[in-house]
Amino acid sequence: MTWPLIGGLALATFALRGTGPVLPRIPQALTQRTTGLAPALLAALVMTQLVTGGWHLDVKAAAVAVATALAALRAPLLASVIAGAAVAAGLRLLLRVS
Amino acid sequence: MRRTLLAAAPIGVAVAVFGVSFGVLALQVHIAGWAAVLMSVLVFAGSAQFAAIAILGAGGGVVAAVLAGALLNLRYLAVGAAVAPVLPGGPLRRMLLGQLVVDESYALGVAAGEAGRPDARTVLTTGAFLYGCWILGTLVGVMLGPVFGDPKRFGLDAAFPALFVALLWPMLTTRRAIRAAVVGGATGLVLAPFTPPGVPLAVAAALGLLVSQ
Repeated sequence: MTWPLIGGLALATFALRGTGPVLPRIPQALTQRTTGLAPALLAALVMTQLVTGGWHLDVKAAAVAVATALAALRAPLLASVIAGAAVAAGLRLLLRVS
Repeated sequence: MRRTLLAAAPIGVAVAVFGVSFGVLALQVHIAGWAAVLMSVLVFAGSAQFAAIAILGAGGGVVAAVLAGALLNLRYLAVGAAVAPVLPGGPLRRMLLGQLVVDESYALGVAAGEAGRPDARTVLTTGAFLYGCWILGTLVGVMLGPVFGDPKRFGLDAAFPALFVALLWPMLTTRRAIRAAVVGGATGLVLAPFTPPGVPLAVAAALGLLVSQ
């Protein structure tokens, strides 16, 4: 599992980073049509992380809310991540939930 | 050179700490420490690496993990094209130098350059510096990882969605991006409980493309 993962991602990233500097015109045509990909994928990743076990709210939803608020206030990326983890850990400790 | 590195130092610290969190979280989803470090050496793309291990951690397959990471890296086509006019050398050399073009080094290069012409030396010096920070951070992360024990105790499982939403937020500057995010989020919400993790992501990617036409 490890080698296909690392090899596949490394090759794909190398190709994507290497194409623009060599063929600047082709990527332009391509990227104009793919602007929605990253936001759609990231939003799907957030939701996938929240509801993989089923449709019920858990402390991760609160973590996401806090992380979103910090991002909206232009806090650094890492502040959102650490605050999210801290909120989840704190709520678990306080409420004794999983 | 010295001034460039001084300007990049705070970003280097952030990238290193980000690398630490990658190392820690990779261990939590049962990726070996050496594999996490090797991944940072060979891939050098934070959001893609996090997405890939998050999918594995949620029970998804390798193909889904690689695909999600690759799709998130599609933006580098545009970024690479934007630095193309200032990169030196023939095709092979430019392709290799292009590997040092990451979000942060590109941003600093644009700030140091003129309109439409990012400063190549800033991009490359900063890129190489951040590459070192990212690998070093990952190394520290996989050494620290075992200290955390049960990931839930420190809320490490919540770090993934918190990271993805923080990466997403600054992208929501156009109606098109907001529409794509709403469609993608709804897809994940509806499909994730009863499909393997690759399925909602593939559907979200397809719908994201469709609504951004």
